[in-house]
Amino acid sequence: MTGPRARGGNRRRLLSWLAALVALVGVLLIVVAVAAQQDAPPPPRSVGTIDPQATTSSAPGVPSPSGTASPPSIRVGPATTHPLGPSRPVQLSIPAIGVDTDLVKLGLAADGTLAVPQPGPDLDKAAWFENSPTPGQPGPSIIEGHVDSTEGPSVFFKLGALRPGDRIHVRRADHSRLTFTVNAVRDYAKAQFPTRLVYGGDRLGTPELRLITCSDFDQTIHHHIGNEIVFAHLTSVRNRAS
Amino acid sequence: MHKGLRVLVPLAAAALPVAFMAPAATADSGTSYQATLNPLNHSNGSGMATVTVHGDTANIHVSWSGLASTFGGNPYPHVQHIHIGARGTCPTMSADKNGDGVISTTEGGPAYGTIGTTLSVKGDTSPNAGTDIKIAPSGSSTDYHRMITLSSDTLDALRSGTGVIVVHGLDPATLSKKAQKEKSDLVPSLPLAATSPALCGALSAMPTGGVATGNGSTAGIEDAGLLGAGGALAAAGGVAVYALRRRRATQA
Repeated sequence: MTGPRARGGNRRRLLSWLAALVALVGVLLIVVAVAAQQDAPPPPRSVGTIDPQATTSSAPGVPSPSGTASPPSIRVGPATTHPLGPSRPVQLSIPAIGVDTDLVKLGLAADGTLAVPQPGPDLDKAAWFENSPTPGQPGPSIIEGHVDSTEGPSVFFKLGALRPGDRIHVRRADHSRLTFTVNAVRDYAKAQFPTRLVYGGDRLGTPELRLITCSDFDQTIHHHIGNEIVFAHLTSVRNRAS
Repeated sequence: MHKGLRVLVPLAAAALPVAFMAPAATADSGTSYQATLNPLNHSNGSGMATVTVHGDTANIHVSWSGLASTFGGNPYPHVQHIHIGARGTCPTMSADKNGDGVISTTEGGPAYGTIGTTLSVKGDTSPNAGTDIKIAPSGSSTDYHRMITLSSDTLDALRSGTGVIVVHGLDPATLSKKAQKEKSDLVPSLPLAATSPALCGALSAMPTGGVATGNGSTAGIEDAGLLGAGGALAAAGGVAVYALRRRRATQA
């Protein structure tokens, strides 16, 4: 009688161990999944004013390339800043969100939309839109970057965390180093994208910068339905020589 | 992204073209064009222009600075036009056929074509007003706004990407000695500097719709499958352990 009973006890003990092992594997899988979970990009929100002169009217004027300050900005009339000539932007850094990237050049896609960095070595670089002014020229210069890609977070992942007053640095092929200051962050539905405001606007004489990325991922269609746009204006220029 | 999901990458890549076909609708009505005005002939100026077309009416905004400010003691007139009918580009120095160091308006023709619309401050906007300095913006900078009815030729050029904005009028002092003595190729009573192009920018349609700068890999729960499997296994194992212990307890 003791034989079968002992065998039954052994079998039950083995089953217990197996069950415990299964539970342990389950817990491990959960730990792995949670560890691999990617933080979502900062939620979009609107801050600041798009007209930089509304926020900087009392600030000192933009220093000219020679280093002397221009008179304080006024709200109307001809450009009061000192636009630069054309020179291709080559590098972008945004210390507040840890961005430091080479810049590539992109134009329009065949369907008339703004082309975006494609899978390959340039996927996670930011891109300057070649039909827009180069940074420092009058008008809004456009730089875009992915918020995420198949590789995970991309160059503009934290763009939505920028706030008015944050600095954006651009180096151009002529070795000039430009600093832009953020004056507004906006989130727009792609279906209502304000094309004229973003690529043109009312201040074509003022050197400005717009950074563009995606926002508002829609889980049902697996698609970003929004664009996050950072509006910034030129606040200093440093030439290699000076 | 978890390594285990690498197999999904080709799938995601296949889905990318779909993501790029975002609706091209915009909140703005009409079609908008933009041009970056870059210096020609070492003019040192810079500018930008936008043209928004509704039907045959265009809202035109041209802003530039850094051009010659005076001419014979008066504000320097800078005639400006939408040129049409050629390659839709701005000339390079190779267009300087007579080697005087200046691309004249005529020498730039093969690149940007002839005048389609004159961007005068008032009155005539036809090609006939192309050299009328009395209705041209003047001085070293301008911020020009005007609603203009465009000819079908200019409208066609905008649509086909062959419209080019050209602003004329150079500081004679920046020209070679030879070129300073030359007469204008357009208006013989004027010096060459007065009518030669100083700024040029090809008009292109602004990008349509939103910008496809993301694929959602960082949105939501990535490893949902892994989480689910883990949860199921943990629960099954836990229940089994509990059941076995209960049975042993009853038997004992």
